[in-house]
Amino acid sequence: MTVPLERVLRAFLDDPTAPRYGYDLMKAASLQSGTLYPLLARLEHQKLVASAWETPQQEGQRPRKYYQLTSEGIQVVRLELARTARHQRAPGHPGHLAPGSLG
Amino acid sequence: MRGERTLLHIGEYLVGRSCRRLPPEIRDERYQEWAAELPAILNDRAIRLAPYRALRMLGYAGDTLRGSALMPGRARRRPAVPSILVLGLLFAAGLVAMVWGIWNAVRAPGHELNYVQVVWSLFLVAWPISQYVRSGARMTGLIVISSGLAGEVVYIWNAVQAPGDWVNYFVAAGSFLLYLAWWLIRQWVRTGGHNAGGAGQMTAS
Repeated sequence: MTVPLERVLRAFLDDPTAPRYGYDLMKAASLQSGTLYPLLARLEHQKLVASAWETPQQEGQRPRKYYQLTSEGIQVVRLELARTARHQRAPGHPGHLAPGSLG
Repeated sequence: MRGERTLLHIGEYLVGRSCRRLPPEIRDERYQEWAAELPAILNDRAIRLAPYRALRMLGYAGDTLRGSALMPGRARRRPAVPSILVLGLLFAAGLVAMVWGIWNAVRAPGHELNYVQVVWSLFLVAWPISQYVRSGARMTGLIVISSGLAGEVVYIWNAVQAPGDWVNYFVAAGSFLLYLAWWLIRQWVRTGGHNAGGAGQMTAS
């Protein structure tokens, strides 16, 4: 799991049921748009994150796209983050997860 | 905020440029999503300084260019065969120009134009490489055009300095023809069904 992905997942897990928009996640994960959006697209493709458009509050306002962890996503992300934490605590860890895991 | 509309237009332009590199089926949606964040960043009250907010918004918009390149399923295009030939020719021409420029700079270290020629030839070498590494890097078009113009200026200047040296005329004409060929092939590829439609159909771009 890459560091940017871990940051995004941790930002989601701060409040797993809360829908988050791109800029909000950028600030929470301290990532640039060029890093964040491809990650979100990948997570959405893996069905770990679902997206929905907001209803504009004012006329002429562009609707924002919100992202939220799916129920499966919450479980998978918790497991992966726990595994990463265990891995990082283990002595002499290589810093990367095994193939097949997230990221 | 003063100049907000102008800044938003610049941001939308940058986002629009980024989205042109995406496949048509996701292009509009991504544009809407990314452009919707621009006013939010520009009016983010958590950041007190307005110039910093403006910079952040422009940084966000500019970085979507990187995002569109990394996006899964983005439009990856292999260069067409004529493009490969032109790229190869440009690469070879760039190498020759670079060697020539370095040789001239060594022989006449006080002549500034030789250094300009070396820089220009480096661009000329870098561009074909960037096309092979990432064929979607269209920003390099700007580099090619500007370096081409700079190269023409160098050779014409050399021709003025030494009117009897036919090499300057030959290289100036040759490089002009190369750029003309590159431009024509680019147009041909664009209108020949590859990525036809483009982002010109994008709403509010």
